[in-house]
Amino acid sequence: MKPLKTLIPFAVLVAVWWGIKAGADVPDKLLVAPLAVWASFTGLVSHGILAEYASASLRLIGTAAIISFVIGVPLGFAVGTNRYAARALEGTLRFLQGISGIAWLPLAILWFGFSQTTTLTIVIYTLIVPIIFNTMTGVRAIPDNYALALQSLGAGRLRIVRDVYLPGALPSIIVGMRLGMGYGWRALIASEMLVRQGGLGDLIFGARTFGQIDRIMVGMVVIGTLYIVVDRLLVQPVETLTVARWGVLRR
Amino acid sequence: MIDRWIWRLLPWVPAAIALLAWWAWFAIEQPPASVMPSAFAVIATMADLAFGGRLPGDILASMARLLGGSALGIVTGMAAGFVAGLNRPIADFMNPLVVFFNAISGIVWLPLVIGWLGIGSPLAIFLIWNTVFFIIFQNTVLGVQLVPEVLELGVQSLGGSRWETIRSVTLPGALPYILSGIRSGLGFGWRALIAAELVGATTGLGQLIFSGAEYHRADIIVGGCLLIGAIAMAMDRWLLLPIEKRTVIRWGLVATGQGR
Amino acid sequence: MADKIEVSGFRHYFRTETGSVQATGTIDLSIKAGEFVTLVGPSGCGKTTLLKAIAGFLTPSEGSIVCDGKQVRGPGRERGVVFQELAILPWRTVRRNIAHGLEIARVPKAEREATVARLISLMGLGGFEDRYPHELSGGMRQRVAVARTWAADPEVILMDEPFAAVDAMTRLTLQEELGRLCAATRKTVFFITHSVEEAVFLADRVLVMTKRPGTVKAELKVPRSAAGGRDWDSFTSDPLMQKIAGDVMHLVHAERV
Repeated sequence: MKPLKTLIPFAVLVAVWWGIKAGADVPDKLLVAPLAVWASFTGLVSHGILAEYASASLRLIGTAAIISFVIGVPLGFAVGTNRYAARALEGTLRFLQGISGIAWLPLAILWFGFSQTTTLTIVIYTLIVPIIFNTMTGVRAIPDNYALALQSLGAGRLRIVRDVYLPGALPSIIVGMRLGMGYGWRALIASEMLVRQGGLGDLIFGARTFGQIDRIMVGMVVIGTLYIVVDRLLVQPVETLTVARWGVLRR
Repeated sequence: MIDRWIWRLLPWVPAAIALLAWWAWFAIEQPPASVMPSAFAVIATMADLAFGGRLPGDILASMARLLGGSALGIVTGMAAGFVAGLNRPIADFMNPLVVFFNAISGIVWLPLVIGWLGIGSPLAIFLIWNTVFFIIFQNTVLGVQLVPEVLELGVQSLGGSRWETIRSVTLPGALPYILSGIRSGLGFGWRALIAAELVGATTGLGQLIFSGAEYHRADIIVGGCLLIGAIAMAMDRWLLLPIEKRTVIRWGLVATGQGR
Repeated sequence: MADKIEVSGFRHYFRTETGSVQATGTIDLSIKAGEFVTLVGPSGCGKTTLLKAIAGFLTPSEGSIVCDGKQVRGPGRERGVVFQELAILPWRTVRRNIAHGLEIARVPKAEREATVARLISLMGLGGFEDRYPHELSGGMRQRVAVARTWAADPEVILMDEPFAAVDAMTRLTLQEELGRLCAATRKTVFFITHSVEEAVFLADRVLVMTKRPGTVKAELKVPRSAAGGRDWDSFTSDPLMQKIAGDVMHLVHAERV
């Protein structure tokens, strides 16, 4: 019932799309009919091309996510637990967040050339800044009382980190990850468009060179769907699980 | 006393350290200008471009596109958001579409739209509008739906008409979320602008940086990036914050929104 | 005196996913012009539902509600409402909130300002005119809410446990202030509450409701005392008042679940 409700608007959209193409005389180089896009999609899938490009993108964002998490969270913790470090870095982080990863792309190209390393670097940068920032604010938002209470129960430092800071900051960390993924996915596509070393950005930009509008549209739909799948099926459940069960620190 | 001074200067420490490290690396390693310019070179180049160079034109072009596209996105997003927010069936219908198009907003449209609009300002403005619209729309819908019903009932019991209710309750009530959306939207919009200019423009800050890459001028790239960061911060501080202060902060309402 | 409000055969259901839930039993009551009627009853008995129906915020499943000879079909400025939760607008100052009803009625500026000034002094809000609600305490906010409704000058005022969220001390003060206000401005008031003491203190007539689904099971008259409203000191030392309060308490306790 619910999936049906979600699909109806798209059905209407496709119907309108089909109507425009069939009714008005829109040339192929501007807009392609739904059926042509479908044919292109099945073609790309059966030749394994789509899988290749899509997996390249997914692999990259996955790698970047893991690296950013592994480096960013401990860094955020270190900074968050120290008032002076937080004060020192907060403004700088905000500044860096203002310079989107994409802006550094030309520099990365100069250093690493047109390679996957370039893209990876950019995406890691884009992901890591919100993660550090949100981890930091998450840790700082934890009331001092919690740690103090545990101390008067005899807990050592490591235990406090495990039982207070980690779960306490987790909702904020997850939010930071979601934010970062949003920025990161877009930076990924943009970078792939410029670097042209595989991935979905490469696919749709390359298709432009050959005027393959149908391919472009397949790429766009896949990009959107993949993002929604990753966000809704992977990240959001974690957010709901932690934030919902533990209530609080936001909204 | 010393403590207070330390506190005040701390935010500048990372920048100072970075500057020192940069200068030290440059002095020791002496890398070629194409890999890493000296701090002085960057400043000199930027000054050069600023006074009598292409920089003012680029800044103007970029800002015009950003503000134009964002303004369009905000107006259309708010209008559509209000209609959907006040009308549950419409909101339910549009929601899946909005979620999907938000996922592909901005740069993803470039290969398609470049065929429709060519390169230059229309392309950039479309991509920015596209990015900003969906964020503003979602936040407006959320804001409208979250206005506590009791506030509307209160005004109705004073004899207020539906229009009066929208004007005096729904609009200000949704403002915290709308402003949060504008903040996010501008952030994403900046990114879309730079990305669009990297690939599809002949002027603008993004194009400036790209040309720096083409001519192996790392000094232009670094200078351009820092300038972008500075402008983004300035916009947030001098544009958005004053608006927030006069409205949601003054009213004691602050909210976190979607689309971030 | 003609009835100001007449409720006949009122009964209401709510539709939920699991079927319909009966919110009230069948209720008949009438309120005369200038009366202060309180309704007291246990949680969930349907008092708020009844008030909402009189206010026009919902349409009765059964029965009719007539105000001044006209069917109630929706909210309107002739029936002002003071809510339990914060319903004054957070983005308007105290002054502008109180003036809101007058703005809607297009009252000219000079008259508006005079009315607002009068109510500010009546409700003891002097000095806070240009503050925003979030800067005020709970008690002050409710004063603003009352002032706002009174400024619009409706003939009927409906109050849904307006002092429930206010601290105990302030509540006593607000009750006395309300009493004085009503004595000075002949309104018809319908006031629902949990608190027996409050119900008897404020009322000309107390209605007691059964537990869910509620109907009106008893009605007690409370003789009007000296002009200017009651005060808590004389109320607590007046044997007649205490007896009435005791009787009402008895009736309410019988409805304990």
